[in-house]
Amino acid sequence: MQAEEREAGNKTEAKRHKRFEVLENREVNKDGFLKEWPEVGLIAMGSPEDPEPSIKIEDGVITEMDGKSRDDFDPVDDFIARYALNNDIAEEMMALDAVEIARMIVDINVTRTRVLEVFSGLTPAKIAAVMDCMDVVEMMMGLRKMHARRTPSIQGHVTNVHDNPVQMVADAAEAGLYGFSELETTLGVVRYAPLAALALLVGGQTGRGGIITQDAVEEATELQLGLRGLTSYAETVSVYGTDGAFRDGDDTPWSKAFLASAYASRGIKMRFTSGTGAEVQMASAEGKSMLYLEIKCVMLSKGVGVQGLQNGSISAIGIPASMPSGIRAVLAENLVTTCMDLEVASGNDQSFSHSPYRRTARTLMQMLPGTDLIFSGYSTVPNYDNMFAGSNFDCDDHDDYLIIQRDLKIDGGLVPVDEQDVVAVRNKAAQALQAVFEELGLPQITDEEIEAATYAHGSKDMPERDKVQDIEAAEDMMERGVTGLDVVKALGEHGFEDVANNVLEMQKQRVSGDYLHTSAILSPDFKVVAAVNDVNDYQGPGTGYRLEGERWEKISNIRQALGPDDI
Amino acid sequence: MSDEGTNQQQQAVEEMELEEVGEAELGDSSDEVVIAVAPAFGDQGKKQTMLGIPHAAILREIFAGIEEEELKPRLIRVWRSADLAFIGLDAAKLSGSGIAISIQSRGTTLIHQRDLLPLTPLELFPQAPNLDLSAYRHIGKNAAQYAKGDSPSPVPQTNDPMSRPMWQAIAAVFHIREAEFVKQEKPVELKVNFEK
Repeated sequence: MQAEEREAGNKTEAKRHKRFEVLENREVNKDGFLKEWPEVGLIAMGSPEDPEPSIKIEDGVITEMDGKSRDDFDPVDDFIARYALNNDIAEEMMALDAVEIARMIVDINVTRTRVLEVFSGLTPAKIAAVMDCMDVVEMMMGLRKMHARRTPSIQGHVTNVHDNPVQMVADAAEAGLYGFSELETTLGVVRYAPLAALALLVGGQTGRGGIITQDAVEEATELQLGLRGLTSYAETVSVYGTDGAFRDGDDTPWSKAFLASAYASRGIKMRFTSGTGAEVQMASAEGKSMLYLEIKCVMLSKGVGVQGLQNGSISAIGIPASMPSGIRAVLAENLVTTCMDLEVASGNDQSFSHSPYRRTARTLMQMLPGTDLIFSGYSTVPNYDNMFAGSNFDCDDHDDYLIIQRDLKIDGGLVPVDEQDVVAVRNKAAQALQAVFEELGLPQITDEEIEAATYAHGSKDMPERDKVQDIEAAEDMMERGVTGLDVVKALGEHGFEDVANNVLEMQKQRVSGDYLHTSAILSPDFKVVAAVNDVNDYQGPGTGYRLEGERWEKISNIRQALGPDDI
Repeated sequence: MSDEGTNQQQQAVEEMELEEVGEAELGDSSDEVVIAVAPAFGDQGKKQTMLGIPHAAILREIFAGIEEEELKPRLIRVWRSADLAFIGLDAAKLSGSGIAISIQSRGTTLIHQRDLLPLTPLELFPQAPNLDLSAYRHIGKNAAQYAKGDSPSPVPQTNDPMSRPMWQAIAAVFHIREAEFVKQEKPVELKVNFEK
């Protein structure tokens, strides 16, 4: 006790080294870091409480998994044991060495299909052991080979602090020009959700045909918006690795499976969401490592039958990021997702660091290998408007991102845009929404608002709307049963025929359902690009996705580069 | 307005005594708003939020916000969960007006209404580090307005994208500690004594 006091005393009196004073004011030192506390699950990988891999199958039924007998399974174990493993080959695959499996992931001579087969017979603890054999470069090699769709892509966030639909429609349209294939919004005030769904639909289809959109709100509302054709995908259906965390969310694996079917059966693309750190954040980690629990989420998603998963810690990212090897665990969870043949929407979607170096290093893990959706999503708006509490990259980082793509000849999913094209598309989208609001009897959008939205950096540049009136109108709109077809009609009647056609195409997509295939996105002419017709066939140099031709031209052609005639 | 806010901060109460006065009953008065605190709030652990705002000061402001609207605050503690949504909904179901505010030790808060789904509160304030005392007063005021059947403009929220990098891991530790106090018992009525 006395020694401690003396030490503390010395510490405060000790003369400061000026370099340490400078270091303390660096951005990175505004981040929070914790020491491991394995007893409660504050550990990224390899908790002493994580089980040893094991499996016993009797009469085709798993009677023991990872040291636990069937009688002791919690609902998550039970679900995984019933639906997520291929019992015919599980014993054979479990007999392989973890390090041997890790090498298969990295080895370009072992096909993606073979790795998928092996993983179909592994238990959560075995997969954790495999990941533990790999460093981040090896994991990136794995991700390069294992992500399902050959062509990488990117999802964007479109939100603003006032839930202003006029700004939102313009931002969605701009995002279309940059090349985002999915757009997601959420709200400060949930009751605004119907207007946000409208704005994203109209804005997205003005920016480029075939953008799919979602309104990340409470599940019942989200489903209803999808059923009405106002949104076209959903991903904020969260799953957890412990029963305790599920209970906190008022759910079970079965209820999530039911919800997933509700979306898919109505032609709405759907993926689950999970991520390292979620369970410990909910004080329900049971002493297990973040990655081990996340692997259970991935397997659960596979068992449910959803086509994909958004992970990469997502909204819990501050927790693994505070831990040793935390960002490695986040990459590992993306890799595991691809090894289960699921679409991966690989995170990078939440601010986790003040340091631009940490932010970039974290994103390179997914950007360099390319994934189905490298970001889920990238903030297409300034982070002060990001209602997912900030993304890892925002619109002010566009040029940095575009130039990193060009430097490394990597397709990160974005393309350079022309300023006047952006202005024009923002203006058109805002006018289109004005027409839709008028036709649907929603509160007026003024010309002044359109002008502001056309040039706005963010909500700071937007005039205020009457929120109470908007919210009442949103509720009324839902009561009146407004659907995507009403939007088509409204656009058509006001001369926005191209946008009307695009919105109509989106309604047709829901009927055909082709974009429910694994890793599906839509091209600007509404062709499905998915793991069935564009499967990742990477097997080393000269194979897989290559950034070349017209696409490479576009990405190399940044506005900042000077030609000989400019000098 | 901002001067007034500063004064409130300066005069903020630091201490309070919470006394359990039996099981929390269903309220029969439509002019009450129930405030439900999480298991460790106020008299366990540090008695302050992540930001170091005393729990006593927060309750005082929420009370004041409700009283400004001439409604009555009623304080309870929910024991069965440390989850904000469930605490809030449990409390709303006990509230005579059907409106309740729930608050965790770290400072996270929401306004709930008894007919809503657990995870769909009227207003949610997920970023505790961005809430100051005047925001808590406003939350009290809005809750009271909902209780009167009005549709108040939602409490303005600042959105600090750098809040998570700084606070999330610490917030998790707060929550883990709070969860240690959970017990499967019914909500209790609390009497509060603010001390200067």
